Amino acid sequence: MNDDSRQRPWSSLPRQQQQSLQQTQGGPASAFGYMQSPGLTDEVYDPRGEQRGHWQYLLNSLQALGVDALADRQRKALRILRDDGATYNLSMEPQARRTWGLDPVPLLIESEEWSDIESGLVERAELFDLVLKDIYGARQLIRRGVVPPELIFSHTGFLRQCHGVVMPGEHQLILHSVDMVRNRDGAMCVISDRTQAPSGAGYALENRTVMSRVFPSLFRDSHVHRLSMFFQTLRLKLAALCPNDDMPNVVVLTPGAYSETYFEHTLLANYLGYPLVQGSDLTVRGGHVWMKALDGLKRVDVILRRVDDYYCDAVELRSDSQLGVPGLLDVVRSGRVVVANPLGSGVLENSALLKYLPAIGKFFLGREPQLRSVGTYWCGDASDCQYVFDHFDELIIKSTFRRAGEHSVFGGELSADQKLRLLERIKARPQRFVAQNYESPSSAPSWVDNGLVPKPLVLRSFAVADQSAYTIMPGGLTRVGSNDDKMIISSQLASTSKDTWILASEPEKQVSLLKDNVSQAGIGTDRDMDLPSRVAENLFWMGRYAERAEALLRLLRTVFIQVNSIDPLSPVARDTLLRAVTRISTSYPGFTATNIHTPSDIEKELLALIIDESRPGSVAANLQAMLTSSEEVKETLSADTQRVLNDLRDSLAELADTLAPGTPAPEEALDPLVTALLALAGLSHASMMRGAGWRFLEMGRTLEKAYQMTCLLQATLVAELDSADEATVLESVLLTVEMLVSYRRRYRARVEITSGLQLLMIDQANPRSLLFQLGALQNHIGDLPEASQSVGLSLEGRSTLEALTTVQLADLALLGVSDEASGSRTLLNQLLVTVQTLLSNTATLISDRYFDHRVEHHQLVASRWEDE
Amino acid sequence: MIYRIRHLTHYNYDQPVALCYNYGHLMPRDAAYQQCLESHITVNPYPINLQHRTDYFGNKVCYFSVENRHSSLEIVVESTVRLNDERTDPGVDLGFGNTCAEALKKLRTNKDEETLLAREYVLRSPMIDVSEALRAYAAPSFRDNVSLLSAVRELTHRIYTDFTYQPGSTTVATPLNEVLEKRRGVCQDFAHLAIGCLRSLGFPARYVSGYLETIPLAGTKKLVGSDASHAWFAVYSPGEGWFEFDPTNDNVPTKQHITTAWGRDYSDVTPLRGVIFEGGASQVLTVSVDVERLQR
Repeated sequence: MNDDSRQRPWSSLPRQQQQSLQQTQGGPASAFGYMQSPGLTDEVYDPRGEQRGHWQYLLNSLQALGVDALADRQRKALRILRDDGATYNLSMEPQARRTWGLDPVPLLIESEEWSDIESGLVERAELFDLVLKDIYGARQLIRRGVVPPELIFSHTGFLRQCHGVVMPGEHQLILHSVDMVRNRDGAMCVISDRTQAPSGAGYALENRTVMSRVFPSLFRDSHVHRLSMFFQTLRLKLAALCPNDDMPNVVVLTPGAYSETYFEHTLLANYLGYPLVQGSDLTVRGGHVWMKALDGLKRVDVILRRVDDYYCDAVELRSDSQLGVPGLLDVVRSGRVVVANPLGSGVLENSALLKYLPAIGKFFLGREPQLRSVGTYWCGDASDCQYVFDHFDELIIKSTFRRAGEHSVFGGELSADQKLRLLERIKARPQRFVAQNYESPSSAPSWVDNGLVPKPLVLRSFAVADQSAYTIMPGGLTRVGSNDDKMIISSQLASTSKDTWILASEPEKQVSLLKDNVSQAGIGTDRDMDLPSRVAENLFWMGRYAERAEALLRLLRTVFIQVNSIDPLSPVARDTLLRAVTRISTSYPGFTATNIHTPSDIEKELLALIIDESRPGSVAANLQAMLTSSEEVKETLSADTQRVLNDLRDSLAELADTLAPGTPAPEEALDPLVTALLALAGLSHASMMRGAGWRFLEMGRTLEKAYQMTCLLQATLVAELDSADEATVLESVLLTVEMLVSYRRRYRARVEITSGLQLLMIDQANPRSLLFQLGALQNHIGDLPEASQSVGLSLEGRSTLEALTTVQLADLALLGVSDEASGSRTLLNQLLVTVQTLLSNTATLISDRYFDHRVEHHQLVASRWEDE
Repeated sequence: MIYRIRHLTHYNYDQPVALCYNYGHLMPRDAAYQQCLESHITVNPYPINLQHRTDYFGNKVCYFSVENRHSSLEIVVESTVRLNDERTDPGVDLGFGNTCAEALKKLRTNKDEETLLAREYVLRSPMIDVSEALRAYAAPSFRDNVSLLSAVRELTHRIYTDFTYQPGSTTVATPLNEVLEKRRGVCQDFAHLAIGCLRSLGFPARYVSGYLETIPLAGTKKLVGSDASHAWFAVYSPGEGWFEFDPTNDNVPTKQHITTAWGRDYSDVTPLRGVIFEGGASQVLTVSVDVERLQR
């Protein structure tokens, strides 16, 4: 089945025709037997119980697809979301990361109705903008008695430090979001406003991308209003805000990879084409804000912030915050940088404002706002407070100041004890609480268990300030409640989402950001080095951890094969290999301890070195560290890379199960990991731009590969063994680095130390040889920006060159000879130690030159009087 | 009356500080009763960025950053301030104006801007929480039909009598209930205490920071707190305005109190606040204040 039934959608037909068609079909044809839930307003059905025309086309198309195809497309959608790394982090724990939930049935709204909603939203954004300007300016709302002074003065979001700060342009409020539900009368009703750093626009974009891929024809034929115009406006607005006269440098400020909406930050930064930075990537110097880029400081003109305002500046705002940029507010005040939304805009999120909105509308606009807000009672008002106490069970209780981890509660659902405690809190600080009437939301069909079920919804809209007014995203993010009765939908509470389709009467012209990107960024401008140095550092470490994991995995595979081989290893050869495992994992004492003898002890230690994440140096620990680094640089990774990382994460999670003690051929369980790591390396070669980011990733890789090779040789070939054991060990080393076949082909002889060293150390044709890796490292270092500017070799260049020549000049025949007194190959050991030292120096020098060694800052005078 | 004030702040760090951003309320503001004729700040090492502005409360703020490594930081502010006769000491007789009950009623009903804006100062602030203990301590002075100002004067006197002035007994972070319990503190604590009492009863009160004349006139006693910054408070009486009281010296500020800044509490008017990078984990702070009368 497919959805290529080239039907004209209903919305494109003249109204009369629609009606007549509907009549001829005779009554509501309900796809999958979809029925509205009794007592709930449903999006599909009109008040008389008839299906609305614009839903029929969609439902018929879904019906035509059939259960299997729909289920299949839902799986496809989930896969795309997962591959895109679309997650919503529930907590600091990486395993609490949830794939973003998307229901394959979109919410439909007709153009005509939407234009009413849209004008209401524009008006509301204008009104909130006026309120914001007033609160941080003349405060007429207070002086003229429009709102009680305490409403503003007691709110934690009222940042007195921001008084009088203005940004260029007509509007101060750049982004405004509204959560609304359709109430029983069929009208949209606002339940809350988001003015701080509204999230969700990126998720709406992701939902749209996925839906248009999974239902291409249905989407095309439905003439859905496109979202790109909204983002286009956002880009233009941010560029227009630039206070300095150069080309604007805009950055997206994120609290970091642990933020619940981090995926969205990476998505927006990439879609809009801005660097994604954390507070510590920025610094204030000489009265400007700068980004710590690889080749020095880059001035920042506009900051699109996703960090709550209170955390943005430890000097003037919350002094213990490490998420912001110390000194930021003063630069904003002096007009040298613009932050959107402005610092202080959190004051508008006070839900108690909704109570006074009609009065505020009359004061500023001469009329009440068109879009209604939910009935709101502010406990700071004595009679409202009494009403709240009297009707507690019927109301939703909220704090006036939104905090992480705090949710609205439904009075009637609290236990007697919880209720008592909440009442005490309200009595102690009434100004901090509001109560709202419960607005029963409308429902729409959701795809659940192979059928369509009515689920309640909340629509979040997005407004962005334009040059003259506000532009509203056509549609927005629809969130779906999990149960169909009393519900307070929040994405934090594990609800899912829908794409929102505003149906146009005719196809829309396509607008893409791409063209604009090119013209604005200017072709040929080298923005390569605009990488925050934190990103370069994480790419460097991502490369190093990946190679560490791979080196250990390869050796472990060999060891499993050899230890379980039919020809038993001699104890000497076995112990040499096991000690090499300890050396490569650096997880001491491991096999250097004297108490590991029995096969089961050996197996236990080997398995621990794979799956025990708490053991530094284990495969799991290295992979986890690699994944953590990759999270920090998410925005620089391709979709394919993202997919491989997902696979790795999954394989890692399954490892503990597949590798229970006694598992036959445990080496096979390691194959998927090795394959994934190779795919990762391949992707960076095949599909990553040869920019600074790539260079740092590859430097990390080559440096680590060379280093691991020296460790392996040191652990296996320095001590002289009897010839049979030595052959076994050397064979194992060649097997580990996948060179045994090449070796046999080339030398057609019994393995022997000098030719082994030849292949492993200096063979230029062997991509795993020490010399090959050192040469590659040398090239990468030579390509770094610093190197091209300075005269002569950089320090890290010298250090690598020295390692390279040391290996080149080595006399292999001499290296193979062991020292009679010690019974070991002293010269070989000396050479390997020299190379190791030089590589460590190189790593330190790179780190010193390019990475930011951030230090926590602290207060000049310790204070403990912070609000909250 | 004209005063010259020299306020020196000096930090010595054990480890050099790489970077610092600071702001301070160090320059006297203008008020109905005083005019700052001149004020000048010198920062050593030389600051990269030095900005002056007026804050939300109308106070003068200077903001500066030092962006090269330094082992000490010195800030000297020299100001010349003229006090006029706007503030007078009514002596013991404060029995006029709003009674306590009238004041509370007018706070609720008056719609003039001054009263509406003063309601900000009834609310809790970062360092001052209202409490039943504070209310209970203050209540006996605030009988309904007593004039608000004489009640506040009585509270000022009681704090002076009941509490011991003891430098070092508290820090900037000592909570108010501890001060109330231990009955000792410094001028900042007494100002906070009085404000906490007034707010617990529903009256607007604000924190005033400033200086006292250092060298006493012949035959008069040197006032307490004169060798550093000083602090007192003001109360608002609807329709009548703001009135200042000094619980540390049991008097009404007139000709020897020079105001620097006011706000909801100390945190709004901290003399110097900031963030430093690297070093400075342990530091030696020296502060000295000289207030000299230039002209009667």
